[in-house]
Amino acid sequence: MKASLSRSLLAAIAIVAAAVAITTLATRTSGEPAASARIDGKPNFNGVWQALNEANWDLQAHEARAGAVTQPGVYPYPYARVPAAPVLALGAAGGVPASVGVVSGDGEIPYTADAAAKKKDNAEHWIDRDPELKCYVPGTPRAMYLNYPLQIVQSTNKIHVDFAFANAARTIHLDEVDEPPADTAMGFSRGRWDGGTLVVDTKQLQGNWLDRAGNFYSETAHMVERFTPISNDAIRYEVTIEDPHVFTRPWTISMPLYRRLESNAQLLEYPCVEFVEEFMYGDARSKQLVKHWEGDSIVIDITRKMRAEGVR
Amino acid sequence: MLKTVLALLGAVAVLAAASPQKTAWGDPDLQGIWAQKYQIPLQRPGPDAGKPTLTAEEVKQREAERAQQAASAPKRGDRIAPRGTLEDLTGAYDIVFEADPIDTSRPIGPRTSLIVDPPDGRIPALTPAVQARMREMRAFMLALMQSVDACKRSQDIACFGVKPGPVSPRRNEPPPYYLAAQIMGDRVINRADGPEDFGLGERCLAGGLPNFGVQQIVQSPGAVSILYEGWQRVIPITNAPHLPSAVRQWHGDSRAHWEGSTLVVDVTNFTPKTDYQGSRENLHLVERFTRVDANNVEYAVTMDDKTTWEKSWTVKVEMARQGAKANAIYDEPRCHDGNIALKDMLIGARMDDKAFAERRGPDPATMCYLLCGTGNPEYARQRQEGRGGGAGPTPAGPAGPTR
Repeated sequence: MKASLSRSLLAAIAIVAAAVAITTLATRTSGEPAASARIDGKPNFNGVWQALNEANWDLQAHEARAGAVTQPGVYPYPYARVPAAPVLALGAAGGVPASVGVVSGDGEIPYTADAAAKKKDNAEHWIDRDPELKCYVPGTPRAMYLNYPLQIVQSTNKIHVDFAFANAARTIHLDEVDEPPADTAMGFSRGRWDGGTLVVDTKQLQGNWLDRAGNFYSETAHMVERFTPISNDAIRYEVTIEDPHVFTRPWTISMPLYRRLESNAQLLEYPCVEFVEEFMYGDARSKQLVKHWEGDSIVIDITRKMRAEGVR
Repeated sequence: MLKTVLALLGAVAVLAAASPQKTAWGDPDLQGIWAQKYQIPLQRPGPDAGKPTLTAEEVKQREAERAQQAASAPKRGDRIAPRGTLEDLTGAYDIVFEADPIDTSRPIGPRTSLIVDPPDGRIPALTPAVQARMREMRAFMLALMQSVDACKRSQDIACFGVKPGPVSPRRNEPPPYYLAAQIMGDRVINRADGPEDFGLGERCLAGGLPNFGVQQIVQSPGAVSILYEGWQRVIPITNAPHLPSAVRQWHGDSRAHWEGSTLVVDVTNFTPKTDYQGSRENLHLVERFTRVDANNVEYAVTMDDKTTWEKSWTVKVEMARQGAKANAIYDEPRCHDGNIALKDMLIGARMDDKAFAERRGPDPATMCYLLCGTGNPEYARQRQEGRGGGAGPTPAGPAGPTR
């Protein structure tokens, strides 16, 4: 009995060892995307990932727009607006692509009446208020679909998610840790495995924006994220947001995250703290670079030194 | 054959299981929250020349001396300038973040310098080109300080080397080099014309390599992620070549491989906006992380830049495991999100400009925008006589090992 037990134990160890060896071999090949070998028997989400959608423009279904900022055109119809000064000089690069939306179910975000009014107000003051434009930490879940790469570094007791944007990061604790003493933009995340799905419970969040359309949640939000493998190179990412001060019921965002399959994919910096200094502090220079300030507001005059019909 | 392989693998698995310092996939395990174990200066102080290590008895004696000094020393934020004076107010942003002048948070270490090579424990001599660059920068800094009133009255520490004179025409020039160096008080030049005149710390752009501070390491089979205080890096484990030379990053470009139980990380491609001890875009680091035992990691890093130093040099840091359950690292890179002070300091400087233009205030060129009001012997005397605030020697200075 004893002998047979130790024999089966050895066999089990050998199988584990073989798995370990395969894991190691499969993932050591330099420059190749991470293989599908499991981590401690769990799905392996390691790698560089990125959302490939328009969610950061607007979580909800929307048609394409002529500009990220528009103004009434010469016709009064709301569907005939034209690009406004902040993006006019960018031409077709300044517009907004259409989307079928990433909100599950009926596609509606169940705001309370007050919150719906605030969302609308946010949208009208996008440039002034969106924390993305100031390079603030994007927060959960917006960081996950901000259209910059992110890297998942998955171990057995912790998972780090590192973001190109603003050098942001979050830790998903699979082990037992104390709650942090303060709320954060990325929140306090505890993960567990539900079969092949990583379920992450996130709370202690500061309120944040969800997209450039002014969708938002408050500091009373609680989120449950689910990461499920679709294939080796795609993850079904779902997040259910509940926030009694903002929403009348929990609602869910769902989208795939795609693996960056370039053989040399790596997370590069998007050091926007430095990039936004002019945007944030330009009015307080002794010699302003932008010549038209009214108080601390930039007044944008577009001077296009190109032929109006385009450069040939 | 298969049996032999399985048996072999089995033996490997037993070995792996026997060592608690292996990950589930068999790599050496560096994971956890780590912090510097000892208080050891980066460079060996003069009095310890020729004495790389301390005996247990000497450590004990120094601990006792330090405790005695700390008891009577000022605490961080203590100012020595009379309350309400210009010198009392300048630098108020930085002082909040300074360590106590005598830091007793960690035990005194058994070595007298973090630098283990060269054997004298000192940073090798700077190349003539870098010395020239530093002289140029220093001349620019002094030019902007020569008209400062505080420097005419006495030798405040921020006024060291200043020859009082008229307002320099150089006040309207850009600095000869990017203000990447983070020196005492963080800000380098006495001017606040725009965000670039401030220190990298004040701009929330600080935090770089090498880093000897608190860090949380998480590993996966192909990458290592490290969360430092307020920033992160991902280190690919790969033998792929570095990024093209044209791609420069604040945190460089890291490539790692395992040498036995040591993670060896090669870092290049730094931007010229960073400066570590005089080295900028040509800094080349070779970091070595080694798990010593359950509670200790050794971090060794070799600084190599022939354009900056005559030879490479190596620092070794003993890192001790911190309680993981307490979840000590929850820092986010939120410095920028809360950086109201930078805007306020710029607005303040514009108000100074306006007051001067309207003949209501002094010429900003005569005001101190650096950390004036510390280390002034006159103020120290006044404090002893019961006037003024607390006395403060210079802030942590070059011994401060965290960037």
